[in-house]
Amino acid sequence: MSMEDYDYLFKIVLIGNAGVGKTCLVRRFTQGLFPPGQGATIGVDFMIKTVEIKGEKVKLQIWDTAGQERFRSITQSYYRSANALILTYDITCEDSFRCLPEWLREIEQYANNQVVTILVGENIRHNFFLLVISCALYVWSRNLILVLVGNKIDLADKREVHRQRAEDFAEAQSMLYLETSAKESDNVEKLFLDLACELIREAKQNKLDNNDTAPMPGEGKTISYLSCCNVN
Amino acid sequence: MADSGSVPARRCGSGSVSSVSMDTISALTELEDLENIYQQLCSEEKEVEAELDRLVGQESTIHTKMLALQRMGPKLQLIEGDASQLSGMITFTCSLAENVSRKVRQLDLAKTRLYNVIQRADDILDLKFCTDGVQTALRNEDYEQAAAHIHRYLSLDQSVIELSRQGEESSSVDASLVLLQEAEQKLKVIVSEKLDEAVAAVDLAQVERFFKIFPLLGLHQQGLARFGQYLCTQLAAKAEENLILATGGDVGDKRAPLIFADTLTLLLEGIARVIETHQPIVETYYGPGHLYTLIRHLQEECDKQAQKIVDKFIQQRGYHNKFQIVQNSMLKTIPELDPVLTEVTIMNARAELYLRFLRRRILADFEVGDIQSITKEHQQNVEKLLKHCQLSRTMQELIGYYIPMEEYYMRESVNKAVTMDTYEKGQLTSSMVDDCFYIVKKCISRALSSSSIDCLCAMINHANSVLESDFREVLYNKLRQGFPATTLQDIQRGVSSAVSLMQSSLQQGKFNTLGIESTENAKTAFLNDCAKLFTQGTSSVEQAKIESCLSDLVNTSTKFKDLLQEGLTELNTTAIKPQVKPWISSFLSISHNIEEEEFNDYEANDPWVQQLIVNLEQLMCEFKVALSPVIYDTLTSLMTSLISIELEKTVLKCSFSRLGGLQFDKELRSLVAYLTTVTTWTIRDKFARLTQMATILNLERVTEILDYWGPNSGPLTWRLTPAEVRQVLALRIDFRSEDIKRLRL
Repeated sequence: MSMEDYDYLFKIVLIGNAGVGKTCLVRRFTQGLFPPGQGATIGVDFMIKTVEIKGEKVKLQIWDTAGQERFRSITQSYYRSANALILTYDITCEDSFRCLPEWLREIEQYANNQVVTILVGENIRHNFFLLVISCALYVWSRNLILVLVGNKIDLADKREVHRQRAEDFAEAQSMLYLETSAKESDNVEKLFLDLACELIREAKQNKLDNNDTAPMPGEGKTISYLSCCNVN
Repeated sequence: MADSGSVPARRCGSGSVSSVSMDTISALTELEDLENIYQQLCSEEKEVEAELDRLVGQESTIHTKMLALQRMGPKLQLIEGDASQLSGMITFTCSLAENVSRKVRQLDLAKTRLYNVIQRADDILDLKFCTDGVQTALRNEDYEQAAAHIHRYLSLDQSVIELSRQGEESSSVDASLVLLQEAEQKLKVIVSEKLDEAVAAVDLAQVERFFKIFPLLGLHQQGLARFGQYLCTQLAAKAEENLILATGGDVGDKRAPLIFADTLTLLLEGIARVIETHQPIVETYYGPGHLYTLIRHLQEECDKQAQKIVDKFIQQRGYHNKFQIVQNSMLKTIPELDPVLTEVTIMNARAELYLRFLRRRILADFEVGDIQSITKEHQQNVEKLLKHCQLSRTMQELIGYYIPMEEYYMRESVNKAVTMDTYEKGQLTSSMVDDCFYIVKKCISRALSSSSIDCLCAMINHANSVLESDFREVLYNKLRQGFPATTLQDIQRGVSSAVSLMQSSLQQGKFNTLGIESTENAKTAFLNDCAKLFTQGTSSVEQAKIESCLSDLVNTSTKFKDLLQEGLTELNTTAIKPQVKPWISSFLSISHNIEEEEFNDYEANDPWVQQLIVNLEQLMCEFKVALSPVIYDTLTSLMTSLISIELEKTVLKCSFSRLGGLQFDKELRSLVAYLTTVTTWTIRDKFARLTQMATILNLERVTEILDYWGPNSGPLTWRLTPAEVRQVLALRIDFRSEDIKRLRL
């Protein structure tokens, strides 16, 4: 990793109904553009932007997904490896807000259900305790950051979803919440930079936790950490 | 004082006037001063004389110059006259030129007007000719000729026609114009009717004949639409036929599972052929840039027919049913997914190929016209047509269902391979490792064969998830089962647990070769494949997408490597350590506080190291047979580290005489020599500390250490700290502790 020109690499996946402005958000952030008349995204798009936060180079790999139903199965396959999901809706479209619980269900199903099923399905046996700890660690290390974004605040007079409602919803689901306008470039930079900060914080926290539990046989995180350095 | 001031004054005067005034001279009283002044005056006089001579010498030159000047006087007057004459001539020429050019300009104007007049006369003549020509051509049913006349008429400058109508002959021009317009309308109707007739009669020659006339009448769009309609009906008939044939089930058994893919291929190939054959006509008679319009018309029919085929496919293969079953995973058996999935990927690959063909053709057609003319709008139109056509959408839907089904197929097959796991004697790995990788590879290859990059990436993601969580969990649990923690004391059980562990670690060993090499090699191999498959369509973004997904796969193989490392560490601590430790601690029972006699005795009957070597040989022999070379190497490396650490601890508990130190040195050498033969890399590094301890224990005197320490160490790097050196020195019973303390290290 030392050979690469960044300190951190994070995968961010944007999801949400069709037409809420995911592609525009990504374009605005990565290219500073607001392409009018943006067509529907086909499948998955992929952009990279490297930002510097407190002297550390952070490479953000942004996966912009298609909102239409027929691409859902492609989109879902990216949840598992994502570090953060940006769940986007359109503040002028009640429907896109109402679909959020469905999106959350989907995230729950595809993000790391594997780990959960193992935890449940495991028999009680001699070393069950160890296993639970290592699995719990695993869940923790895959802690996914969720951000709820209400886009298109430039169309304030057509607003259908009140800010308070969205804030309450986000809080209940322990998500971060932000309102943006890709068109006016409101909060777009802030969205991605705040997220990058949060991801760095999380990554540092994980490193600490893993170092604490290093002697624990199970996950062998320290070994992996070392061998990572050796490989590169 | 005064005369010292006079010297510079004279120099300033540079000899023109004597700087020594009479006043100064009369004021002088001393002889010496007077002499000085005299001298000065004399030299001044000489200078003035020389100056005068020089001036007199110049007189003759000045005189000749004066003469020359006097001679030039009259010539100057001549020049003045000439100059004024020249100026007069220039003025005259200038006005003359202006006069001429004015006339030329007038001529030019007249000429252009004349040309215009001729042009207009020509036009009017043409108009007349056209009027007559159209009438006769129409009468003779020579539509091509008539259309050519109308085309001529349409290409005339409309303003010219307007002007002509205002002229004197307005009535006759008007009449012919009316005639022409009538003829135009008539011809349009006739041609349309004829084309419709030809279309109805399926007469390709006639269709093409009238199709060629349309652009002459300025009806490009209409012509293309009619022609497109004709081609569409042709295609529809053919497609209908093919679909009936396909659903009739009267096909060879071999192609039966792929019949819908074949039918779709026929349809798309048919359309491609139609475009190929008719492109020259469109280009010749309609000009470049019109192929897009024709293809747009054809695409409508293509969408319709493709939808029919896909609908039939969904219905006959129970595609949605299968998806439902997979979605609810109600059945624990895998439904017959394999052929359906293959068919879907082939269908998508064909569609992608077809759309790529269209894109290439349309863009090439635009380029023929004018490269600059490929505007953003054009490109957007093309993208819109190709990406958002019903065919694309249908295929996207099929792929949308395909991915979860393929994922289910992969997951269930892997699970099945795990439950059906068998271990054959003599085989280093059990069947499931190969099986699982075969399945994963198969699924990814199938996704690759669909030509859809998003589909491929999604399947790589899923494969990664299956390997990283499901499969890794299986191996992990196997490792756990191999280590009943309570039985570690029991050597017998320890060995048996080691054997059972071997099986599982072996599997990972296999993974090593298959997994790590294959993921890393496969990454390049896959990229090559992709490059081959998508040469036309792959943009750098898509390449990056695949690469990113594959790098996740490589990360997974690192995780497997970690798991293997961890398993081996555990194997080492549970199976090897309990056995090796007592062998090494038996070193304690061999006294190294020995004299000559015992040393010789040890020489004859080895007290410790030979037995240790024999024991190690036996222990490692078991592992060597059962482990793959890579794993065996790692394990021996772990074991040698264990031995060196244990031996170091043990040695620090002993005491040594001079000969005891020598004995230990000998023992260590034979141990290192043995271990070097069983490992593939150098192990000296691991034994560096012990070797240095042996060196210390072998010293004659305490102070001899200084020959090796600090600046005298030479190439030797000390691995022992000064404190440790003192500690080792203290093991020698014949070294006095004061001497050791006195050492400066």
